[in-house]
Amino acid sequence: MNRHFGSRHAIGIAAVSALALTLTACGGGGDSGRSGDAAEGAPSPGITDESVTLGITTPLSGATAGPGTCTVAGVTAYFGMKNAEGGIEFGDGKTRTVEIEALDDTYDPQQAAANYDSLKGDVFAMTAGLGTPTNRAWRDAAIADGVPQALIMTGDPIFSDTDESPMQLGFVPIYQNEGEAFGELLAGSTAEHKVAILSQNDDFGEGYVEGFKSAIEGSDNIEIVQELTYEATDTTVDAQITELASSGADVIFNAMSVTPLTIAALQKAQQLNWTPNWFLPSNTSSPGAILEPGGAAAFPGVYSVSFAKAPASPAFAQDEDVVEYLAALKEYGNYPDPPAFPHCQWSWMVGATLEQAFAEMEEPTRESFMEALRGIEGFEAPLMLPDTSVTTTEDGQPAVSTVVVQKYNGKGYDTVESFE
Amino acid sequence: MASSSKTSVPTTSAPASSATSSPASSFRQSPWVRWGAPLLLLVGLAVLPLVMTESANDTLARIGVFAVAVLGLNVVMGYTGQVSLGQIFFLGLGAYVTAYGVSQEWNIVLVFVLTCAIPAVAGLLVALAAARLGGLAIAMVTIALPIVGVPLAKRLSDFTGGSQGMSARFVAAPEGSGLYDDQWQLYLVLVIGGIVFLLTYFLVRGKYGRAFAIVKGNENVASSMGISPYRYKVLAFTIASLIGGVSGFLYMVVVQYTSPETMSFGHSIELLVAMVIGGAGSIVGSILGGVFYVVVPDITNAIDPSLTALLQGALLLAVLFVLPGGLVSLPRAVMRGLRRSSAGRGSAAPPTTPSSTPGSGTAAEQTETERHGHA
Amino acid sequence: MTLLELEDVTASYGPVQVLDGVSLSVPENGAFGILGANGAGKTTTLRAISGAVRTGGRIVFDGKDISGMRPDQVAALGIAHVPEGRGSFGDLTVRENLRVGAYLRKDRKGIDEDIDYCLDLFPNLQDRIKSNASALSGGEQQMLAVARAIMSKPRMLLLDEASLGLAPSTAKNVYDAIRRLRLESGIAMVVVEQNANLAFTVVDDATVLETGRSVLTGTSAELKGMDEIRRAYLGG
Ligand SMILES: Nc1ncnc2c1ncn2[C@@H]1O[C@H](COP(=O)(O)OP(=O)(O)OP(=O)(O)O)[C@@H](O)[C@H]1O
Ligand SMILES: [Mg+2]
Repeated sequence: MNRHFGSRHAIGIAAVSALALTLTACGGGGDSGRSGDAAEGAPSPGITDESVTLGITTPLSGATAGPGTCTVAGVTAYFGMKNAEGGIEFGDGKTRTVEIEALDDTYDPQQAAANYDSLKGDVFAMTAGLGTPTNRAWRDAAIADGVPQALIMTGDPIFSDTDESPMQLGFVPIYQNEGEAFGELLAGSTAEHKVAILSQNDDFGEGYVEGFKSAIEGSDNIEIVQELTYEATDTTVDAQITELASSGADVIFNAMSVTPLTIAALQKAQQLNWTPNWFLPSNTSSPGAILEPGGAAAFPGVYSVSFAKAPASPAFAQDEDVVEYLAALKEYGNYPDPPAFPHCQWSWMVGATLEQAFAEMEEPTRESFMEALRGIEGFEAPLMLPDTSVTTTEDGQPAVSTVVVQKYNGKGYDTVESFE
Repeated sequence: MASSSKTSVPTTSAPASSATSSPASSFRQSPWVRWGAPLLLLVGLAVLPLVMTESANDTLARIGVFAVAVLGLNVVMGYTGQVSLGQIFFLGLGAYVTAYGVSQEWNIVLVFVLTCAIPAVAGLLVALAAARLGGLAIAMVTIALPIVGVPLAKRLSDFTGGSQGMSARFVAAPEGSGLYDDQWQLYLVLVIGGIVFLLTYFLVRGKYGRAFAIVKGNENVASSMGISPYRYKVLAFTIASLIGGVSGFLYMVVVQYTSPETMSFGHSIELLVAMVIGGAGSIVGSILGGVFYVVVPDITNAIDPSLTALLQGALLLAVLFVLPGGLVSLPRAVMRGLRRSSAGRGSAAPPTTPSSTPGSGTAAEQTETERHGHA
Repeated sequence: MTLLELEDVTASYGPVQVLDGVSLSVPENGAFGILGANGAGKTTTLRAISGAVRTGGRIVFDGKDISGMRPDQVAALGIAHVPEGRGSFGDLTVRENLRVGAYLRKDRKGIDEDIDYCLDLFPNLQDRIKSNASALSGGEQQMLAVARAIMSKPRMLLLDEASLGLAPSTAKNVYDAIRRLRLESGIAMVVVEQNANLAFTVVDDATVLETGRSVLTGTSAELKGMDEIRRAYLGG
């Protein structure tokens, strides 16, 4: 009996050995290719005189596939268009085409790190990927390897801290920026306001509230009358809404990242005949997906923030930027439908911002690229709303830190200058 | 027995009859193969990290991490028959314990011990409560683990770093070793993972393993034979949790970052799928499960990153249809095919029923019942 | 010398009291029968002995009070229960099932001898030694269940309706083997049977249960002679 066992195992072990040997063979042997060995001034990996390759790890399947796919589509469309025009002129005088290699991480940090590992030898820089944990997973490795992790889609402030993150730069506004923008608008109001706060009990909600509070500090026309939280995993916030409704607030600052909960909160308030002015974060303020089903028209004002033109909005239907963008998205971005998530627009802007950096980059090295990337000031990328711009010179801030407050008009959003 | 039979009928033992059955099996039983294969493997594993590329080393190290996690799941599910949907929670817990210990600059040996002990104790407590319930209740309780774990990890941000997670880069190759970090990490995974595999191998081959198999087979009969199903279920679950904790340590060695996402429920299902694909109730199957868990996303990414979920699902179905016993049953399926075709040509090879001790050698059959039972 | 003694044993499933004072006594090497209609509490009595149901009263095995022990603890003392409905490991072969029965034993040689003995006792199993247990007939499964219990080398066997669902000739074969086992091994037994005729081929004494209570206890010979027993259980 034991003998028989032994043989079964011998086969198994042999199979594993064979697999291991195959891996070795595929690996090609030798200990070449380890990063950080490059000589000073020599071209970095992923760049030749003709082309440069960028890597993206982002969720392309699973629950976050929608926004994740957009993060690839926008920048791919942008450089697809530029490549078709002959390429991009770099600061060293060479004209290069830009290739994108994107891998799916399913929002799994482990897979994101693995994707980074497999891309880092072939790409010049990593960019545009979505997600806080998935970008955090290889942040340290990118620093150690000297690989740029540029213009990524996360509101996590650590990526905008130059000391902590020398090879990184976040693209989208951090949560604080958004809360702050609404706080400033409210503080500038001529009337007195009582504010109720309902926020998600994590760094997302805390960031918004922190930004909001810092903006209203010292303005005596604003009073926070009640502050409640909920868990991201909660299935209802009815109790919180009921309690807040009885506070007599005329404004609710609702830092919520869960779509169904946001709809339910809007509906619950109407049931209670409580119709305050309502603030929502940029990622839970979609007119079609949230405000319409939530019956937002019942409220005197629903506010959110943005820095990108909404291609679906009739106001921008004829806008030059938008027309060019939608055409390129279809032709080069492998994205035939109208973009369902703002991440598509953001990713397009990432492309434009990278082009700015490439134009200033004097050597085909990652160091030179990072230097150029950090030297952009007041760049109005295509699709950006007036009064917003890309500025990378400010430590502690992402590439886009300015947002404008917008008010729901029953269909889309209009930028507002003051709170009435 | 007082009067053992004097008229006992001579019986031929199964291995004796199969030993002479075919050239293939005599090849398998030659001492050269039996001792040579493990030796070759050992030498191979010792040299491998030195000759492979960085990315191959990384891949192999990640395979090691998840092979250990799948092995833990196999102890409770493949060997003891208790559905656990919470294995990823223990990996996550181990990863957090490691990350926290490293951030507090505790001695790394202490960190490792805690990484074993804390998940084991957590698993023990869960099992003490859940194993009494029996049946699907254990599955339900274990589902709750990752579902509660994720928000808990976000909540306890003083220990876990909240939803931003924790980094811990604590395994650099020692000065003067001449090794690259990736080589050193792979060696750590190979040594720690290898020890875990070896200990588990002895566990499931020994008395405890037989008790697990009996509990899995029939709880009533188990207790009528002096084996407490409750006790062995608790034991299996605790060991699975401990092994999960070790895989969490290795996760931090290789990935060096953990966040609430690490222990999300979906990954628990993926681990389960990897176990079934590799081969439930099999040591080698656990390794193959680890290979599946890690390599398939890489392959599907290479084919078409936007279709990874679809391709993985298709692959899962394909393997299950062709090899219901998992990848580990491939050699046997091939042998069977060969035998059948040679029998078809007229050379009547005597049928050899693979014989084995209870519950250990019948991975394929057990997997089948297991699927029918729990799917 | 008395091996097993039940004194006024009660048992209930939740609020429902099922045993209402059962007493019996089995000497060393003895065999004791429990007769009774469906639902009388025969199975429950065996479950009470093997610790699978909560009980009141006293259950003493080999001088030791075993009431309140867990089934595995009772089994470890040498009481092997062959439950109603058998229960074998369908995935495992007959031989493997027999080895499972010897789980608590360490004497390799003795185990091999006892396997041979069981196969001699149940020649049908010999023919199916490599089959999976799930492929056995009902009669063969019953034999396997008894054989597996023998493999644990018990001091006492608890047999629950070993004839259930078997053709008369198969049932007789099984009971012939049980009688031979008793003669050759001296294992004590508690035999639950609907078919009193079969039971009387093995047991020395027996009791009749009615709604959880022993109403009549005596030797086989005494009971066989009684009219009401005859009418109720012996078909005439
Ligand atoms: N698990 C249980 N839960 C509740 N009641 C039970 C349970 N098992 C048995 N009973 C009840 O206890 C009584 C005695 O059952 P038991 O199985 O001991 O009878 P039995 O004499 O073995 O009958 P049979 O000859 O049909 O096997 C019956 O009324 C039965 O319905
Ligand atoms: Mg009964």
